[in-house]
Amino acid sequence: MTHRELELQLDAYLDGELAPGDARELETHLKQCGECARVHEARVALSAAIREQIPALHASDELRGRVRAALRNVAGGSASRRVLPPIAGRWLALAASLAVVALGSWRLALSRAGEDALAGQVLASHVRSLMPGHLTDVVSSDQHTVKPWFNGRLDFSPPVYDFAGRGFPLIGGRLDYVGARSVAALVYGRRQHLINVLLWPASQGSVGGSLTVATRQGYHLLRWTTPEYAYWVVSDLGMAELHDFAQLVQQADSAATMPAAARALP
Amino acid sequence: MEPSELERFEAIVLPHLDAAYTLARYLTRDDHDAQDIVQDAYLRALKYFGGFRGGGADGSDGRAWLLAIVRNTAYTWRRRHRADALVTEFDEEQHSDAVAEHHPAAALERDAAREALHRELDRLPAEFREVIVLRELEGLSYKEIGDVTGVPIGTVMSRLSRARRRLQEALSAGEKGRVT
Repeated sequence: MTHRELELQLDAYLDGELAPGDARELETHLKQCGECARVHEARVALSAAIREQIPALHASDELRGRVRAALRNVAGGSASRRVLPPIAGRWLALAASLAVVALGSWRLALSRAGEDALAGQVLASHVRSLMPGHLTDVVSSDQHTVKPWFNGRLDFSPPVYDFAGRGFPLIGGRLDYVGARSVAALVYGRRQHLINVLLWPASQGSVGGSLTVATRQGYHLLRWTTPEYAYWVVSDLGMAELHDFAQLVQQADSAATMPAAARALP
Repeated sequence: MEPSELERFEAIVLPHLDAAYTLARYLTRDDHDAQDIVQDAYLRALKYFGGFRGGGADGSDGRAWLLAIVRNTAYTWRRRHRADALVTEFDEEQHSDAVAEHHPAAALERDAAREALHRELDRLPAEFREVIVLRELEGLSYKEIGDVTGVPIGTVMSRLSRARRRLQEALSAGEKGRVT
């Protein structure tokens, strides 16, 4: 096999797109070939750099409004609204792009120092979990096995959901220690990516807060609070998919805390 | 169109607005072009929505379907408005490092590797740039990228690999140039 072919295979391997047999062969080769091992390392670094330095973007509220208005116009809905004239659209677009410039980078939020330290601990927990043998204390795709496992190990019983039907299968759970307390860590998969969900009871009087995001060392961190729990989600998965995942958790959570009569789980 | 059909469309397709904008923005390298393209693509998507068989058990959530339309719209739009602009090589004046210039703090922290990476991404031909965006930023599988770009999986694989190699060279050049 030529070096170029190996490089191709290596990329497919890192993307989780290589057949298991080929992947094993490649892993063996990486142990023996210094040059390929160096390419491998460089590719991992590149991927992290891209994710950290080249941001996935958010559509502005202005664009969202424009698109909805245009759709309603065309669909001939009764409440058809005027699409912004091109000039106004341009100015708003300019304003939006200046806002993007002012933000400078996608590494928003998490301004408070405490939050920042916590984000560091959450990230450390995630990275540590990726080291061999550290991922899970209980391995099960069954939420009814994972949830009871925490009994007697934590002073709360974390909500555990399985999203295998949505492409995020539950892999297991473990105990971790973050923010000076024991916390529940739930592990989910998405193709070759792993997602750690860390949660613990929210501080007294919490009313819940909206989602904030951060990117560190190529990992994405999402955080939100409900009246009951503080949630952190961390993964190397693309921000868009991680957002989808966070939404699933939030939906499952709000469905679970609704009165039984109003419950409508997917 | 029935109002309920529009609602169904919005429920399935609007959640992918960020992904649509990201792809359009990196393809065009221009914010207002990207916004126009996204709006146009959504209108086209609405028109073709009857033919969309997703949102079902196969896990197809409409994202790849929408992104294919965004991509086609971007290419058509550019052909019409600015001949071949998608494949123009990087233009130092047009694509200068605007972020750093307008933001003193960012300028101070300016990172040679980041600049090199951005510059090199902008310089990549559109067909390489789009696979990087779809894979690294949007997390699409090779199959989905093939669906969006209309090429076989083998081509997706080799384009990604070539694009990464170019970016990697830029990154290591940037690292060498970094003052420590």
